[in-house]
Amino acid sequence: MGCCYSSENETAEERKQLIPNPNPESKPLHGTDWSASNVPSARTDEQALLTSILTKTAQNIIDVSATDSQGMEQHEYMDKARQYSSKLAVLRNTLPQNKAHFLPSLTSQPHQVLASDLVPYSDVQQVSKIAAYAYSAISQIKVDAKEELVVQFAIP
Amino acid sequence: MTTAALTQGLERIPDQLGYLVISEEGVLASAGELENDEHTAGVIMQMVRTACRFRLQGAAEPPFKRISVMLEDFVYTVTVSGQKVFVVKRQNNQHAPVTV
Repeated sequence: MGCCYSSENETAEERKQLIPNPNPESKPLHGTDWSASNVPSARTDEQALLTSILTKTAQNIIDVSATDSQGMEQHEYMDKARQYSSKLAVLRNTLPQNKAHFLPSLTSQPHQVLASDLVPYSDVQQVSKIAAYAYSAISQIKVDAKEELVVQFAIP
Repeated sequence: MTTAALTQGLERIPDQLGYLVISEEGVLASAGELENDEHTAGVIMQMVRTACRFRLQGAAEPPFKRISVMLEDFVYTVTVSGQKVFVVKRQNNQHAPVTV
């Protein structure tokens, strides 16, 4: 009986087949449930199940070492490595331009710049006022239609 | 310059509440109220990228040394040096409200 219930990961389907039908005739002969599962038909079922589990497991496994050794030779690895590094070298040349464009150095003494006095309140107020004026001016810009946009030329 | 050397001076800034040191790859150091504040780091980096595009006519470099983000109670002061962005959150003791 123990062998039938030993695995907790069995699916319902597998478990159903593993439990042998109660055989009233064999019980008096062998006396225990464990012996009941040893009748020939039960053993065949069990073996078929084990084989199917083995097949399923084998299908789910990808043997990386086997794939590698079949798929690529060492010189192919070297070729690929060389190809990738040459591609990277080409791409790397385009990077410094981006870097130069981004993050120009504003100062060589960041600590002094950050520790210096804060912007005076009057300056902040002045900037706010100018920004408010500018916003107000922009919002008042409008098109004043004076004459026809499309003019017909007098074609004889 | 090591990270410790970079941050030592930041710790001594008066009224500092926290700081960030950011490179193109990400946050290099952080402390105080800005500790592990990736969100603020992202926003500040966007502001720096935008501001660093400004040029006065004929000038090759941006015409400023520091960005100050002024809020009522505190200020973020930001500068760039050696491909690193330094952000220090400082207390704002000028208590007059900013009116627009």
